[in-house]
Amino acid sequence: MTESSFILKHPLRVRVFHYILAASFLTLAVTGVMLYFKLLAEPAMNTAMQVHVVAGAVLTLDALAFFFLAFDRLILFTKRTFTFSGNDIQWFAVLGGYPQKILLHKKVAVPPMGKYNAGQKLFGICVLVGGTLLILSGWVLWTIPHAVGHGAASLAGSIHVVASWVLILFLFVHLFLGIYMWDDFKAMFGDGRIPYEDAAEKAPLWVKNDLRRLC
Amino acid sequence: MSKNDPNHEYIENPFILSRREFIAIGGIIVALLALPAVWVRSALINRNHHIQARTRGLYKDDVTSKIRLSHENPAVMKLYRDFAGKPLSPVSEELLHTKYVNRTKALA
Amino acid sequence: MNQETKTYRKGEIPGVIAINARECKGCDACKRFCPTGAITGLFGATHRVDADLCISCGQCLVNCPFGAPYETVDPVDEVAAKLADKSVTVVGIIAPAVRVAIGEPFGMPVGSLVTGKMYGAMRKAGFVILDNNFAADLTIMEEGTEFIQRARHALFGEKAEHGGEIGPLPQFTSCCPAWVRFVETNYPALIPNLSSAKSPQQMAGAVAKTYGAAQVFKVAPESVYTVGIMPCTAKKFEASRPEFQSAWHFMKEKGATAASKPYPDIDAVLTTRDLARLLKKMKINLAAENEVEGGTLFAEYTGAGTIFGNTGGVMEAALRTAWVVLTGTPLARIEFQAVRGLKGVKSAAVTLRDQKYGKEVTVKVAVVHDIRANIRPLLEDVIAGRSPYHFIEVMNCPGGCINGGGQPVCDTGSSWIGRVLPSFAWS
Repeated sequence: MTESSFILKHPLRVRVFHYILAASFLTLAVTGVMLYFKLLAEPAMNTAMQVHVVAGAVLTLDALAFFFLAFDRLILFTKRTFTFSGNDIQWFAVLGGYPQKILLHKKVAVPPMGKYNAGQKLFGICVLVGGTLLILSGWVLWTIPHAVGHGAASLAGSIHVVASWVLILFLFVHLFLGIYMWDDFKAMFGDGRIPYEDAAEKAPLWVKNDLRRLC
Repeated sequence: MSKNDPNHEYIENPFILSRREFIAIGGIIVALLALPAVWVRSALINRNHHIQARTRGLYKDDVTSKIRLSHENPAVMKLYRDFAGKPLSPVSEELLHTKYVNRTKALA
Repeated sequence: MNQETKTYRKGEIPGVIAINARECKGCDACKRFCPTGAITGLFGATHRVDADLCISCGQCLVNCPFGAPYETVDPVDEVAAKLADKSVTVVGIIAPAVRVAIGEPFGMPVGSLVTGKMYGAMRKAGFVILDNNFAADLTIMEEGTEFIQRARHALFGEKAEHGGEIGPLPQFTSCCPAWVRFVETNYPALIPNLSSAKSPQQMAGAVAKTYGAAQVFKVAPESVYTVGIMPCTAKKFEASRPEFQSAWHFMKEKGATAASKPYPDIDAVLTTRDLARLLKKMKINLAAENEVEGGTLFAEYTGAGTIFGNTGGVMEAALRTAWVVLTGTPLARIEFQAVRGLKGVKSAAVTLRDQKYGKEVTVKVAVVHDIRANIRPLLEDVIAGRSPYHFIEVMNCPGGCINGGGQPVCDTGSSWIGRVLPSFAWS
């Protein structure tokens, strides 16, 4: 094969979805933390809440658009994130080799992974489940906390807090590794392509089983 | 860049999912979304459940009471006989009636 | 407490409900329940209760998803101390709405009628029982007679026996202290329309410390400690009203009390939640108690008295007695379905023959609850002289006292989980 071949890893639909998701979720996280810890004075809290609500609406529309316009990608994503094997347990045992590489400059053997490594699958599950819970509980809390009864509103509040903290904490890892893996960053935020060599090393099962050569 | 000359050589195979898998996963996703929708709808409809249950409890207490009219309460009749005389009597006025306060004016 | 309040007199509790700034998320759910717009604070920011506007109804408290509003008055420890004091007769004055809710904090199903167990738990704790349903029956006698007097005055020009002034129609009920304070702060022009009858709680206090002390408990009146046990946070405010020292005044005039300083008719008010806490502190499990009788003359009540806790209950009780007293004939049907249910404003027209004057009259009555949503159009009609009603029952809380601010906070939940969950035994 040629040395500078590329794989289209993230088609345009997927990248656009991710841009909007990233922008709105970061806004939600920042305003959410401000609201949770009550960091601001009263008028600023009101503004933070308004921004939080608007960003939440944007995130919801983004998710709905992806659901209706890219349903096949959603199914594909779901299948990949929820398919685990012994390889994934082993991957966690060495933490994917990242701490060793970053802190100790040592290269460790890592079991072969598909398109998403075990850590990414776990994060993907958190986003699918947590994101859905955040959207649903968020709308209940904004529009009808008074109408669903005390128990349901209180539960929505607890779900919202737990899901957001899980995602925010995990997000630090995602942001760090997403930027550290610069080629992947360029793919997601650029034209969607990654070099064949990188993929063959990092996601050999994906390269072997899931790709198709164009002409 | 034309369609016949993309600058990537590989794309994902669109056929890695079987139709059965596709429908199964899609079905599960939709079902999982329907679950909270049903739950929220149910919470909305049943938000007064506690009001209705307590209301029923009191009407049950009424229906199972031996006496169901206030003026037939023997203890009340005894109170009037022994002490208050009759409704709106001077004793009743003093102990069982009151006056109110206009709070839009300056209060003492 | 806020010293700058303008709508409270000396001695009254100015701010029964406050909001815990740490818990409040600014979600605005409470504002949708407040009948007087007393909650301030922008969406997303911490909210506060404006004590001058607040009527202490507690709807914000029972509906807040985060439990941010709280009561600033907690007499549980004081009552426990009095119960332990052998020289004090602690009289527990129990509202109707308590008996269908007090089981809930002890694990019983929502709405269980637990009168017997409630009596058992309270007597075990050391309370002497004065059932507020007895006082409710008494309220019907006083308020019903007052209504008949006002109606006969308006219709037939009848004068009062002792030559006093007779109030105007429509007559409003006055047992709901949140409603009373609502009138006093927002519609003082309607004060004459309020029934002059006290609420059952306050009648109970006055009776307990006069007739009760002398003839029923047979103790010195100043050794009687009355505790209202209510589904209502506004009752804490009501008990603090300075005019409610009528028992002391009465007994002082008769030389029947040794106390030189006035004591209140109601010494303390426990909400249903407070009572549950008190019983648990005393290690009394209400659910496990045997059913017992009340044990005093004051525990006798009728079905009319017990329905006071429901919206429409006061009106129905009044109609039952008014019918029999006015017509001299028994009721064909005891229930008045037209005043039952959760509709915001219910109305009924009762045609009867006033035996004393030999005339047929049609009494038009209305029942209002959830005053936040329903009261203003009705009051505007009354002020403009457009209202067709003669007698109007008003309860602040949606559904009536059974959904009062002092009731156990209820996770209403959904229908199918409620049915399925009991299958999974847990504790």
